[in-house]
Amino acid sequence: MEEAISLREFFKTIRKRLSLIILLTFLAIIITGIISYFVLTPVYQMSTEILVNQSPAETGQLTDLNIQTDLQLIKTYSGIIKSPIILDQVMNEMNLAMTTDELAEKITVSNADQSQIMNISVQDEDSKVAMEIANTTANVFKNNIMDLMNVDNVTILSPAVLKGNPVAVFPNPVLNMAIATVVGLMLGVVIAFLLEYLDTTMKDQEDIKDILKIPLLGVISPIVEKAEIVEIEKMTFKRKGVIVDGQEKASPADST
Amino acid sequence: MAKKKLLQQTARKLVTFTNPRSFVAEQFRTLRTNITFLSPDKDVRTMVVTSAVPSEGKSTTSANLAVTFAQEGKKVILVDGDMRKPTTHYTFNIKNTTGLSNVLTKQSTAEKTIRSTVVDRLDVLTSGPIPPNPVELLSSKSMDVLIQQLTDMYDLVIFDAPPVLSVTDGQIIANKCDGTILVINSGHTEKDMAVKAKEAIESSNSRIIGAVLNNFEISKDNGYYQYYGHTE
Repeated sequence: MEEAISLREFFKTIRKRLSLIILLTFLAIIITGIISYFVLTPVYQMSTEILVNQSPAETGQLTDLNIQTDLQLIKTYSGIIKSPIILDQVMNEMNLAMTTDELAEKITVSNADQSQIMNISVQDEDSKVAMEIANTTANVFKNNIMDLMNVDNVTILSPAVLKGNPVAVFPNPVLNMAIATVVGLMLGVVIAFLLEYLDTTMKDQEDIKDILKIPLLGVISPIVEKAEIVEIEKMTFKRKGVIVDGQEKASPADST
Repeated sequence: MAKKKLLQQTARKLVTFTNPRSFVAEQFRTLRTNITFLSPDKDVRTMVVTSAVPSEGKSTTSANLAVTFAQEGKKVILVDGDMRKPTTHYTFNIKNTTGLSNVLTKQSTAEKTIRSTVVDRLDVLTSGPIPPNPVELLSSKSMDVLIQQLTDMYDLVIFDAPPVLSVTDGQIIANKCDGTILVINSGHTEKDMAVKAKEAIESSNSRIIGAVLNNFEISKDNGYYQYYGHTE
């Protein structure tokens, strides 16, 4: 019973502040939308795929063991790609004005589903720069791996290509706005309850019964503004007929 | 222009008279019935309408209540006991050159100052010129005499009093009356203010008839209350 009442109160509060909640939600969506579309610099992602494989000449055949070794290698390679040896060279080739760490942050090396394919993804505000970094890194890595590991098992599968109209990976306005909807909604509900909690005014019949503990004689609704003023013409006043007062004979209504 | 606005406001306030079939007028009739039923043993002849803090609707409530009682057939007088911020003369569009303050200082008599209104059986005693000492006037002997005189002349005397938490005037009038009605402005009156007001009235040895919840928005889904409200 207690819970039923509080649940009802919950919905009552929500409904009372529904406009506020909706307003807050829309405000959050609009602000996020504006920030996502106009304020935040879009970031583009370009990736180059690399195949890591022992050259058949060395082993003669493809075995499970080899593949296992390759997978182990990929992990090592990921480290190598992001190491200063490779990145410094990339920066030299491209004349990039940034630190090694900054460049390392832009690069993500992943390998999908334990396959032998490595993916060098580069994120940058300029899609062309992202593409160039991805391709240069892949090339530099391919050239250097011979010296470093003394193996030649890296092939570039698909270099990054700039398509006509690249789609930014960040920000994701739709996702952001979806998050904003949830956040705005929650914020609205919290504020609604906060307002309800902070509002210490008398509200309804129950307040008079519970707080004042005196009988409620009646409730009066707000008197609407569109009152009929037709009757006002009749509202002329006269002094009480029985009493004659010389000083104020004029009707008060006339003199006002 | 100013006059026209004033008249409109008057009409708006006196809804029981200008629009007796309206929903609000019906609510005032319910109020009247409840007041009558809540005092079956002792016939309440003098009552005071007050509130905790200013502008909660005392004057509007008292004026409409007076109209409603008059419409029932009672001979009613509405006395503007608020000698600090009088409003009753605006509500009924009367001049406030002489009134309660003159009667209490014996500059005039009640018979000379009481004015009839457009409402049958309803007379009004305005506050009169604002005196420097309303508390002394209200607690004076002549106030007792006046109340006695009005009780003899009318079936019901309704006082419109200042808010009890602002000045003591309300308590003084309440002390001299049979019952007190506390106006609560829904959504505006603070809970602790309402409780203080109730305690103030009780400390003045007055009987609280009950509270009126003013400006209460009845929710749309409450069909029971809406039933009679269609004529508005």
